[in-house]
Amino acid sequence: MHVLIATDGSRQSLRAARHFKSFADPSKVTEIIVLAVTRPLASVSFVDEISADAKAPKPLLSSSFKAEAESAVAVIAAEFDDWSDTKVRTRVRSGTPSAEINRAAKMSNIELIVLASGSRGLTDTVLIGSTAQRVQATAPCPVLVVRPVPRVKRTKKKP
Amino acid sequence: MSVDTASPGGSPRVNEDSELKQGVTGRLLYFYVLGDVLGSGIYVLIGLVAGAVGGAFWAAFAVGVTVATITGLAYAELVTKYPQAAGAALYVNKAFKNKTLTFFITFCMLSASYAAAGSLATGFAQYFGEVWAAAPALVVALAFIIGLAIINFVGITESVVANMIMTFIEIAGLIIVLIIGIVATVQGKVDFSRITEFSTESNPALGLLAGVALAFFAMTGFENAANVAEETQNPRRDFPRALIGGMATAGVLYVLIAVTAAITVPIEQLAQSDAALLEVVKAGVLPFSVAVLTIVFAIIAMVAITNTCLVCLVTESRILYGMAREDVVPAPFAKVSSRRVPWLAILFSVLVIAGLLFSGADLAQLANVTVVFTLLIYALVIISAVKLDKLDRTEEAFRAPRFLLAIGVVANFLILGYVIYDDPGSLVYCAALLAVGVVLFIAERLLGGGRPTTNLES
Repeated sequence: MHVLIATDGSRQSLRAARHFKSFADPSKVTEIIVLAVTRPLASVSFVDEISADAKAPKPLLSSSFKAEAESAVAVIAAEFDDWSDTKVRTRVRSGTPSAEINRAAKMSNIELIVLASGSRGLTDTVLIGSTAQRVQATAPCPVLVVRPVPRVKRTKKKP
Repeated sequence: MSVDTASPGGSPRVNEDSELKQGVTGRLLYFYVLGDVLGSGIYVLIGLVAGAVGGAFWAAFAVGVTVATITGLAYAELVTKYPQAAGAALYVNKAFKNKTLTFFITFCMLSASYAAAGSLATGFAQYFGEVWAAAPALVVALAFIIGLAIINFVGITESVVANMIMTFIEIAGLIIVLIIGIVATVQGKVDFSRITEFSTESNPALGLLAGVALAFFAMTGFENAANVAEETQNPRRDFPRALIGGMATAGVLYVLIAVTAAITVPIEQLAQSDAALLEVVKAGVLPFSVAVLTIVFAIIAMVAITNTCLVCLVTESRILYGMAREDVVPAPFAKVSSRRVPWLAILFSVLVIAGLLFSGADLAQLANVTVVFTLLIYALVIISAVKLDKLDRTEEAFRAPRFLLAIGVVANFLILGYVIYDDPGSLVYCAALLAVGVVLFIAERLLGGGRPTTNLES
């Protein structure tokens, strides 16, 4: 089975990858493509929050959204280090995330797309939809959308 | 696992077997540059230029466009060497290796963008007034900026297609003007003698220079193309072509439009109009209802201005975001929402632009402020290009002709000198805008506690 895991550099997308790993059978997953999409015309093309040094100050002049995307896909790919028989590739594309995810899925004959749904707040319901919604609307294959954990009400239980 | 992965450093095997070349194509880049340049100028400023020069104001556009395009050559050369998003600040840093100068240029870029957004918002309000005269201009301009901020929050700006459609609409507006010019010529309703008239009080050369300074504003914006440099498919080949092609197209359109406006409408009428290109449409040579055509054209002009102003906001929030990542300005500016939008950076930009609008500065003054900052940046970029000539030169890198760059530096400083001489008041605004940057810088020193990274480039 060929699986595509999309990341926007968020911790939520790392959770999505881990969730997939928690139940998937390594012997059946022959190939994983980890994809990040940078958005050239957006204010911030890509934010990497999952690399070890993600919070360290970044020099403005050498700042590269592409490099951030590359380190983010590398982090997700590293999650599958122990799946010895699975081929893991990383990809960075540029464009509108939903369109590029589906395009990559079609081209690489992907059988499952794994991604996270961004926010838990109002923005996704009120505004014009999230990348996850748009991906599932036109995806060529099944889509696993990992929703954020609902906000824990203030109880004394440890999370 | 067997890894077939691109190392973060970017091995040559990145995307090696990926299906196609992917990213911003040369054509998209061309339309990005064209759309960005067209929106900033002709719709907003043509009346002011006509007023400064007289009937021969097309010559001001011709000179302004030429100087800007020469600067574009320097940018094209540097982008092909260093295809990174930071633009002018990066080049100046590489050439001068002076941290203070680099920060100064970064703040200049930010300030230029704020002043440009302010003048564009004012221009937008003037065209809006043609559609709905009762609307107070200040409220419209503010609503416009807030609307753009919301568009940024939602993330529509990402759409490459939307950008291209807007550019086509902008060109359509200018083609309407050209058609009017042709029809009027055929009908014999034009006065060609006007295009050689200088109607300035002082001598024609000074009048022309004043016009050039304003016309220069019409070409600003092309430097924002560095925003997408990193994601251009084949920057060495595509960037110079798209950048110079886009600027040349805009320049030719500007000169043609200026000639058309001059021969169809009396200069006094152009100079006094808030939305001068509408005067051409109102001349009534096309067999359509003038009222309808006026509204259609006003909407086209507003789309054009919106396109460019959106890019301004994106550029501003990128610079703020980048500086916050570097700990030059307070860290919250680097916070992104779940939609990956640097919301505080955008909000702050809106506040600064609103401040400019409230300050009572008029369109010409804000345009002058933009021009002062951009001329300074452009001149330094050209000097950087020359200083970096020997460095990082590769076979396929684009190299601008040196004598043109020499002309460019002189011309940039000449126009800069004139603008400051003519409108010293604009320096107050320049200082105020730079002070905003200084305040942020001090706020980070006091509140952030951290030290800025000592090396600008890792």
